[in-house]
Amino acid sequence: MSYLEYSVKYTPTGLRKVLYLNWALVILLTAVASVGFLMLYSVAGGRFDPWAAAQMKRFGLSLSVMFVVAMVPIWFWRNLSALAYGVGVTLLVIVDLFGAVRMGAQRWIDLGFINLQPSELMKIALVMFLAAYYDWLPARKTSQPLWVAIPAVVILTPAALVMGQPDLGTAILVATAGGAMMFVAGVHWAYFAAVLTGGVALVSAVFRSRDTDWQLIEDYQFRRIDTFLNPESDPLGAGYHITQGKIAMGSGGWTGKGFMQGTQSRLNFLPEKHTDFIFNTLAEEFGFIGAFSLLTLYALIIVFCIVAAIQMKDRFSQLLTIGVAMNFFLFFSVNMAMVMGLAPVVGVPLPLVSYGGSAMLILMIGFGMVQSANIHRPR
Amino acid sequence: MIRRPLRPLARILQARARGENPDAIERENLRLRHEVSRDADRERAESRLFVLGLCFALAFAGVGLRMGVLASTKPSEPRVAQGGAGIVATRAEIQDRRGRILATNLETAALYVHPHELVDPARAARELAKLFPDLDEARMLADFTGPRKFLWLRKVMSPEQQQAVHDIGEPGLLFATREMRLYPNGALAAHVLGGAAFDREDVRAAEIIGTAGVERSFDARLRDPGRANDPLQLSLDLTAQTAMEDVLASGMTLMNAKGAAGVLMDVHTGEVIAIASLPDFDPNARPAPPTKGDPTASPIFNRSVQGVYELGSTFKIFTVAQAMDLGLVNPETMIDTKGPMVKGRHKITDFRNYGPELSVDKVIVKSSNIGTARIALMIGAERQKAFLDLMGLTEATNIEISEARSGKPLLPPRWSDIVTMTVSYGHGFSTTPLHLAAGYAMIANGGTRVEPTLLRRDTPQYGPRVVSAKTAAQSLAMLRHVVTEGTAKVAEVPGYQVAGKTGTADKPKPGGGYYKEKVIATFASVFPADAPRYVLVVTLDEPVNTMGREPTRTAGSTAAPVAAELIRRIAPLLDLKPRIDPVQLDGITLTSN
Repeated sequence: MSYLEYSVKYTPTGLRKVLYLNWALVILLTAVASVGFLMLYSVAGGRFDPWAAAQMKRFGLSLSVMFVVAMVPIWFWRNLSALAYGVGVTLLVIVDLFGAVRMGAQRWIDLGFINLQPSELMKIALVMFLAAYYDWLPARKTSQPLWVAIPAVVILTPAALVMGQPDLGTAILVATAGGAMMFVAGVHWAYFAAVLTGGVALVSAVFRSRDTDWQLIEDYQFRRIDTFLNPESDPLGAGYHITQGKIAMGSGGWTGKGFMQGTQSRLNFLPEKHTDFIFNTLAEEFGFIGAFSLLTLYALIIVFCIVAAIQMKDRFSQLLTIGVAMNFFLFFSVNMAMVMGLAPVVGVPLPLVSYGGSAMLILMIGFGMVQSANIHRPR
Repeated sequence: MIRRPLRPLARILQARARGENPDAIERENLRLRHEVSRDADRERAESRLFVLGLCFALAFAGVGLRMGVLASTKPSEPRVAQGGAGIVATRAEIQDRRGRILATNLETAALYVHPHELVDPARAARELAKLFPDLDEARMLADFTGPRKFLWLRKVMSPEQQQAVHDIGEPGLLFATREMRLYPNGALAAHVLGGAAFDREDVRAAEIIGTAGVERSFDARLRDPGRANDPLQLSLDLTAQTAMEDVLASGMTLMNAKGAAGVLMDVHTGEVIAIASLPDFDPNARPAPPTKGDPTASPIFNRSVQGVYELGSTFKIFTVAQAMDLGLVNPETMIDTKGPMVKGRHKITDFRNYGPELSVDKVIVKSSNIGTARIALMIGAERQKAFLDLMGLTEATNIEISEARSGKPLLPPRWSDIVTMTVSYGHGFSTTPLHLAAGYAMIANGGTRVEPTLLRRDTPQYGPRVVSAKTAAQSLAMLRHVVTEGTAKVAEVPGYQVAGKTGTADKPKPGGGYYKEKVIATFASVFPADAPRYVLVVTLDEPVNTMGREPTRTAGSTAAPVAAELIRRIAPLLDLKPRIDPVQLDGITLTSN
């Protein structure tokens, strides 16, 4: 039997699955989360309370959830994807309605042990649903207008609901991740080119209209956009976060001030030091080396996902892996760009590191499915 | 595209011949076809993945590069001065003629609030209300919990107050560093300096603009960033100014006056050495202009450059000087002073009856209205008005105080004979005390016009000639006689040869006519008379001298003694050496043996 005729279809079963689990990914995820524990310990002034201990418990829980999800065959998750999407949209609608009643931004649903953010659930549900959709759709139909319009609606519905919460940052990132999945699924270039051109044209038209008699938006809206795009024009107002964040990064230098020596976070100059701006504390205390190491850990996780996706034969597994990776990538890169003044401040946490439960749980469920796809791929 | 047929006839037939199921061939071919299309899909998916990977790599490179750039930059706090939005916050100092500070700047802090950053708004409002009693706790709390994101609480604070606010420990209470204008001498020269206020302000800087006085008239120059280190030097002398305000204030109290004005001016250069108006104010907290009541009663009203008064008999010397200059009279010419003098419906009287006739010199010394009026009739309305124009008494002075422009003399509407006569002795014609000082400076400096100025200058003004040097000398001699033997004997200061003229004018009633008991008493003086250097005008508003047996209101007993005290105090400060004339030794024959 030569290797050309080798076509044994083998799928691990039972406890053997544990052997086929990608342990490198588990270690990488744990390493990133550990960086988070360290930083939360540091910003709390060298105490496990109030953040580090809680974060560790959540990570333990999320890790076990990931193992359970990984053990369940991937086709089970594919069959569940439409349901997950439906539940996600329903929860978003409920939250939007309750938000209207309870004045302000009500983004949470209390599940008792954890506060679930429906927009977080939506991130993974959308990825699952799109992957299942393209798994079901015959390849030749991929680029037909009707079959392109359906996923567009599927993506834009939750994005619009999230934007109504209001959470513009998450909405944009969810939509971008969905778009990337359509791109990988093979939708024709022309659609993306058209959307990009249209978007650029719209934005440039809005900006061109400034100070003309056909101005498309009001002056105060322009001023808001100005501060949004260039917060440093007002270093003590809208740009305060960014300014202090950059001071933290700059004062860290190449090697950092040392663990627990960061003054910007210690002296409360840094806002949201345990959530969105935790990366600044890392950069201040461990310098360029620390920050770049975390970036490298993130990159390795992405590389693992891409390599796994290429190896997978099954379309659902492939697209799901890419979707999870894409979400992960978008969140950490936008967060890093934001705190370093490369992108507008949109309030996006640093995945696995920022303090927060539901984002971590959802992310680990996503990686659990990636593991499941990896375990259950035919070998 | 070449499609592989699903049921290739040749193979089917062969299979049938062999007795095999031809469907297996079809299944086999179907599987191969699927594999081909799946491979195409996979190829496309892989190329898409490649593009995606490229995007990832670019993003990683971008973020990593940014990390490196940030790590290698020196951190810098956002600077206060940086990009101060064009707000210039340095203002030049103002100094007196000897370089002593009249106005300077002090770094201070304003207090503003970011309500959304307040940890405990209720506590913040409570503590602030304790520190600043003028702030209302309930209102602050409403502001702090309202939708506003920014509000000013105080424009300036003392360092102690700033520390106390700091000690509250609220992150939402923020300080804005800025400069404020400080007048270290308080009320001294308040009307000259005027005042300054914040104009455009933000948390980085605040712009100071002059709101009155020289601060306003020199605003552009004081704000010029290129001259921020070049102080504006005024002609004022701080010590003389102090003495003047001191003496005027006590004189005002002593004479029961409700206001006083004083001008001390160099007769050659036109520099104003001291100028005061009482009551005054502190320019560090300049009061707002009154919205009701008499604006001239407000402390911010500058009586010496804004207040126009009928300055009475002090004007007589101008009439006499003009008549002498025209050759109509000389000091010895006898003038008919029989009273009362009736002209139409008007009757001119003297304070006392001075007999049927007086020499011109005596008209001044005794201050005869009738005599002056007769001289004015000789001059005539046309020439009188032209003379007043030439002296600059019919227009506002050009002194560098922004309010001076409103100090425009009140001229009679029609220049009839009776007006000519009343104007000749200073009635029916109102000017500011500063105008009068300029007029007397003309006589004292030998007959040329001088413009009063507040800027230091070292050279005399050579203005247009008004009267000849001879006329000026004769007029000065008459003024000297007023002090030695006339209405102002009390004004003599030993060693300083004071020359001057009193003037007492009834105050006009707002509705018309004159008050009997309310006067403006003025003493205009020149010293030392033999080599005039300074002119001093003192004006008291509604003075009553109650020190004698009977209350008197004449300038000789109110303004003149105050002026004398001023000269006594100020002349030594101005480096004038007292010169005591040798006693005339009449009847002694010097012999030599």
